[in-house]
Amino acid sequence: MTATPIIIDCDPGIDDAIAILTAFVSPELEILGITPVCGNQPLERTVRNALQICELGHRADVPIFAGCFRPLFRDPIYGQFHGESGLGNTVLPGPAKKIEEKSAVDFLIESCEAAAKSGRKITLCTLGPLTNVAVALRMKPAIAEGIERIVMMGGAFREAGNRTITSEFNILADPHAAHIVFSTDIPIVALSLDATHQVILTPEHAEKFSGSAGRLAKPLSEMMAFWDRNDVRRYGSRGGPLHDPLVIAYVLAPQLFETQTARVFVEHESELCMGQTIADWYGKSGKNPNVEIVTKVDAKGVYDLFLDRLSRYALEEVR
Amino acid sequence: MSPHRIIIDTDPGVDDAIAILLALASPEIELLGISVVAGNVPLEATVSNACKIISLSGCVDVPIYAGAPGPLVREQVYGKYAHIGAFSDTLVPPASVRPQEEHAVDFLVRMTRQAAADNDPIVICAIGPMTNLALALVQHPDVARGIRQVVSMGGAFTALGHRTPWAEYNIYADPHAAQIVYASGVPVVVMPLDMTFQALITEKNIAAIGENAGAAGAAIAGLLRTFDRSDMQRFGRPGGPVHDATTIAWLLEPEIFEGRAASVGAQVSGKTAGYTYADFYGKTGLPMNATVMNGVDEARFLEMLEERLSIYGRGR
Repeated sequence: MTATPIIIDCDPGIDDAIAILTAFVSPELEILGITPVCGNQPLERTVRNALQICELGHRADVPIFAGCFRPLFRDPIYGQFHGESGLGNTVLPGPAKKIEEKSAVDFLIESCEAAAKSGRKITLCTLGPLTNVAVALRMKPAIAEGIERIVMMGGAFREAGNRTITSEFNILADPHAAHIVFSTDIPIVALSLDATHQVILTPEHAEKFSGSAGRLAKPLSEMMAFWDRNDVRRYGSRGGPLHDPLVIAYVLAPQLFETQTARVFVEHESELCMGQTIADWYGKSGKNPNVEIVTKVDAKGVYDLFLDRLSRYALEEVR
Repeated sequence: MSPHRIIIDTDPGVDDAIAILLALASPEIELLGISVVAGNVPLEATVSNACKIISLSGCVDVPIYAGAPGPLVREQVYGKYAHIGAFSDTLVPPASVRPQEEHAVDFLVRMTRQAAADNDPIVICAIGPMTNLALALVQHPDVARGIRQVVSMGGAFTALGHRTPWAEYNIYADPHAAQIVYASGVPVVVMPLDMTFQALITEKNIAAIGENAGAAGAAIAGLLRTFDRSDMQRFGRPGGPVHDATTIAWLLEPEIFEGRAASVGAQVSGKTAGYTYADFYGKTGLPMNATVMNGVDEARFLEMLEERLSIYGRGR
């Protein structure tokens, strides 16, 4: 089996950290690079957190490229559930690892151009605002030919927003970038709040996951505890949605997810509905559907997958 | 005095060609490179035109970089005179230079970050849609720090009704990019239609440039005569504006321009997308991010064009 080449575009972030740590122990994935962007935290922080997460996962070999320091058009907004550092109260050493000279945008362009040539197309796993990807696409639209698909955490369709009434954070943080990405014909899989709210990381799961994660037990348990929204009314239980990790879970085990195809539009003009994602479920727009929106998740299957992956950190052979 | 170190971000274009040739004819200006964007015509044609202009100037060491092939958010619109397309070989001889491999946005990021590190910021003369510049500004905070000012041909405050009833083309073609530049914290010198409509080049000037400015002059005269830029109804007299060249003229002789400080912004959506507004009286409380030019000494501007461009007729 050949590994799927992926680039993780992210804004770590607690749930980004869990996603990245899961990807590290998944041999089905070849992580070409990580491209942090301004999002949950200012760029300086997301870059630092990405470096620390690589070291935590003993994957200092994965190159990290700093992305855009602000959204395309709007003023930056930051996440509300990641604490001051972006990783809750978890204190990680270092980092000693350094970022690459090249920018995230150039890395995306060069990787996708090379992939278009070789035919080994890249899966972009986007866990944050889409600024890096949008800038790359506007600079060189032809890079679309090197992208197998974009598996994205973002949007809210039948579910209400999480940052505003209508909008999910990653899209709201850079709605113009999201508009650019959704306006292409690149195949997109959207893990929106419709999907992520089906997989809540309850305190019980957190305990099980971190308890099995060997040397990562302490940081994982801290981060997962910090992630608890403590909002039973909204989520049906204690805990917080496993937003970003679902992207990695989808790439590893798409059979656990049901999707419905639609053209997606992003509101980027109205202040009231800024960042809203709108799915054309019934072909009203006359435009080709370009997004597979995950509508149903086999939550049990996903929990089992994460337990299996995170427990690999208890194994000796994991670097 | 050390020369102005500038980059021209452009979508050539006839008046772009004059701006570039004027810059290269002026020892006060060090042209670091040309970043090209889609605008008046598609990117392929603007890049080809830029290569031809640089070849024509004889300054073949000035690097040319191809940039964004379309606007950030809105759908693409071309210039009023898009039919001119790529300059024909009859009008402008074939190019002897090719664009660099590096992308125009990467070039802008590289040069401005270096300028910020050296504490020697550069000037960007933005004479097309500002897509390249916007794409550079979001990539690193040092991009803005490395720009002394953006001298922007674009916008219209009272001289409306050029490209659309409410907007000037360069802003209309990418209003989001314009707003990103306006809001970037970099001081902007705005050359709007209100001012460019005051300096009209006539057949007399064109004939003089054609006669005295060698091959460059012949090409400029040919390009200017390709279509009628005059608008008797609007201007009340013969002649047509040379919008983009005013950015360079301002660097050379700022005293022939009049302007005032304002807070400037662009309307990015809705019916009037591309409309530029200026707050001259501090009503919005927003920072005075721009100097808006509203007057130019026409005679001196045209004389400057004739004088400076004649260098190409003196065996340059």
